[in-house]
Amino acid sequence: MSVLEKELEVSDLNFDFNKKDAVTELIKEFGQQFSISKSVREQHTDTTTIHTSKLPDGVVFAENEIDVKKTVEICQKYKCPIIPFGVGSSLEGHVNALYGGISIDLNNMNKILHVSPEDGYAVVQPGVTREQLNVYLRDTGLFFPIDPGANASLGGMASTNASGTNAVRYGTMKDNVISLKCVMPNGEIVKTSNRAKKSSAGYDLTRLIVGSEGTLGIITEITIKLYGIPEVIAGGRVTFPSIKDATEAVIMVIQAGIPVARIELLDQEQVKACNNYSKLNLPEEPLLLLEFHGSESSVKEQSEFFSEIVADFGGNNFESTSNNEERNKLWKARHDAYYATKSCKPDHEYIATDVCVPISKLSECIEKTQNDLTKYDLFGHIVGHVGDGNFHVQLMVDPKNDIEINNLNKFLDDLSKRAILLDGTCTGEHGIGQGKKQYLVEELGSSVDFMKNIKKALDPFNIMNPGKIF
Amino acid sequence: MSDNESQWLGKTYNKKNIQECISKIKDKFGQQFSDSKSIREQHSHTMTIHESELPDGVLFASNKNDVSDAVKICNDFRCPIIPFGVGSSFEGHVNAPFGGLSIDLNNMNEILNVYQDDLLVTVQPGVTREQLNTHLRDTGLFFPIDPGANASIGGMSSTRASGTNAVRYGTMKDNVVSIEAVMPNGEIIKTSNKAKKSSAGYDLTRLLVGSEGTLGIITEITLKLYGIPEVIAGGRVSFTSIKDAADTVITTIQSGIPVARIELLDAIQVKACNLYSKLSLPEEPLLLLEFHGSKKSVDEQSELFGEIALEFGGNNYEWTSNNEERNKLWKARHDAYWAARSYMPGTEMYSTDVCVPISRLSECIVETVKDLNDNDLIGPIASHAGDGNFHVAVMLDTNNENEVSKLGPFLDRLSDRAIKMDGTCTGEHGIGQGKRKYMYNELGNSVDVMEAIKKSFDPNLIMNPGKLFI
Repeated sequence: MSVLEKELEVSDLNFDFNKKDAVTELIKEFGQQFSISKSVREQHTDTTTIHTSKLPDGVVFAENEIDVKKTVEICQKYKCPIIPFGVGSSLEGHVNALYGGISIDLNNMNKILHVSPEDGYAVVQPGVTREQLNVYLRDTGLFFPIDPGANASLGGMASTNASGTNAVRYGTMKDNVISLKCVMPNGEIVKTSNRAKKSSAGYDLTRLIVGSEGTLGIITEITIKLYGIPEVIAGGRVTFPSIKDATEAVIMVIQAGIPVARIELLDQEQVKACNNYSKLNLPEEPLLLLEFHGSESSVKEQSEFFSEIVADFGGNNFESTSNNEERNKLWKARHDAYYATKSCKPDHEYIATDVCVPISKLSECIEKTQNDLTKYDLFGHIVGHVGDGNFHVQLMVDPKNDIEINNLNKFLDDLSKRAILLDGTCTGEHGIGQGKKQYLVEELGSSVDFMKNIKKALDPFNIMNPGKIF
Repeated sequence: MSDNESQWLGKTYNKKNIQECISKIKDKFGQQFSDSKSIREQHSHTMTIHESELPDGVLFASNKNDVSDAVKICNDFRCPIIPFGVGSSFEGHVNAPFGGLSIDLNNMNEILNVYQDDLLVTVQPGVTREQLNTHLRDTGLFFPIDPGANASIGGMSSTRASGTNAVRYGTMKDNVVSIEAVMPNGEIIKTSNKAKKSSAGYDLTRLLVGSEGTLGIITEITLKLYGIPEVIAGGRVSFTSIKDAADTVITTIQSGIPVARIELLDAIQVKACNLYSKLSLPEEPLLLLEFHGSKKSVDEQSELFGEIALEFGGNNYEWTSNNEERNKLWKARHDAYWAARSYMPGTEMYSTDVCVPISRLSECIVETVKDLNDNDLIGPIASHAGDGNFHVAVMLDTNNENEVSKLGPFLDRLSDRAIKMDGTCTGEHGIGQGKRKYMYNELGNSVDVMEAIKKSFDPNLIMNPGKLFI
């Protein structure tokens, strides 16, 4: 029995789908906006994981909310799976069409509908990317801070509760989505909230939909918080003799209330790779990279206070600057980290994973993970959003080497279990998707039954992105 | 339906079953249970114009097993359960319209663990915020959320409370990291581990926060803590109009000044405060400020704010970082509640709240003041202006039927006004009994989604019936 069949057998969700009739009706309804070509379908399933891609039966290119509603209604009528698609940059196989069905591509819904500088929010369609939004905002003096690395779509970022390097200061998507419009599995369009900054009116559907990975509805409009572009942005860099020293310094920095905007850790192996790739000569030791936002005097104060703290923890060679060009130089190792890792093994495949633990447990978690890389003979570098206790392992594996893939699976299994044992989570920002379903149960136990209750209540036929999360 | 029965959302509550259930609870819990009238009365006051309706008995729970055992029995008998903290809610949340069992959680008041390095604390629901901050004093940490009353943390979580410093520190939704709750079937679940971020599954934490006891009973809460600011400064400034004051607030927030509190009192409230606290403030709209940070940063914030206030015609701006002086400056705000109460001797005070996008705040307040005047109602206004949230304390002579009859329509118009301005009928008090009728107006068919969730968690509808939904 395949893994998939086993899953079907134990799940109490519906997996009895009819895709053929839905496709026929979608062709009639959408004409040119619907494609069943193999290459288009292939573009809509890249898992960016070791999981095999499964193609949807067709792709709808939605132009507006009504298109989304029609698609959902047709899929609902025939019980056909439907998988929302942004730019496809998710890292846990969220867009894979495990049971076939319809991929609904939202990239053409990429309008910035409204910006309210007084209220500090923007209303956007789900296909707007974060770079597009920030370019658009440039003249307003405002910006949208959340930065997961990739130029992701805001719909996708909301769906995975994305965050990234500056969550330590600005929070995650959960903290920055004010309201959503959403097409629910029954085709109804709902608005989760009005646009006041606070509300105590009913259940928090906004934050229920954020992070629900397309399993409860399709987001068609997002109101997000904006922030004033800081007067001054300073960058900093400092090395430490050990991961433990670096994380202890971070704990102190946060306790002292220094409002760091970014605080990133690179482990020694990552630094080594960055030295090679970006032609740097950093000491091959754990490296912290900092960013401070504020007025000139506040940034100066933050940076000075920071340097005092790191000195207590053995930090070396602290450098900082509020000159943009200099700052980019200091941060070069971080900006190039992804490419540096990839360049080490160009013929291998890149796999990224993430876990998140209470910050007091971070050094323990990272050190044990480093030992595991050695134990399983895997090639991997660690980059951490350490202010949040969140870190990534960037692995290069040979997909044709069965032993290596086997070791990779064991490594990922140990990693998630370790994070959970340390009172953390198997995913701080990538989401559960396909790959981490079993860890969700391990992490939250019978809570998952209540999540499933919600899923069944809102999507009784399990048409919304089936096979993900549960 | 017989006299013994009453209905809610299509479910029938049977008095005989409830009586049977209560006697079972009595047998099981002995001394921990009371059905004396005075005790039942203490557990059902509404602080609204809704009549108190008594529960049939009160259980004083000592631990989560008590809660779980009682919930299981009540579920078997379809007996309503109403969780009770300190009873400071404003919308009749603790009233027992269908009778049933009030579960008093005040004896569950242990502070279980302070995680100094992770800036977290785990508490039982009966812990009050003052108790928590007293306990934390020696750690240099504090819990900022301050709804005014010395509320219980369980109650604050249940209503998504906030208050004066939400503008800087957020609301309960932003500060609850994880919840342990007894669900309607008696199961005990944990909504999340203690990592700062998580993308693992649906956000049950924020689903329970603000659910007003309708989805489960909170038995443990993990909260974020913050370092006590090095310096706290206070400020005060008068304006000739609400609009000037609100524009000052908007510009302050847009310029990124991280104000910790920014409160607005309208002219009537200032007048009441002058009388009560023997002050001689100009009877004009008043802004009160608090700034947190290092000495340098607080100086910078206070001065920058002063410049902004001056631009909008602010008068008599004073600020200080001396604690005693600060308390003097803030006296009007600290005493505002009592000042309002005593402003019209022989009247009762009814407090309500709405919240709008900040760009609409002055318009909403000005129209509300006009509405009060047009209808000969007295209602001082105090606003958490940084969030667009404000309270009206309507003073009524309860023996004057004509006056009392004006309150309902006034509240209807106020909620309607806030909703039309893209705001909410409640920014921090909750829906409870009184605001259920506004839910559809504000959120349309997303209320159906909420109801579907409610029914999927609590098929027998035993958890705080008669609240949130009509």
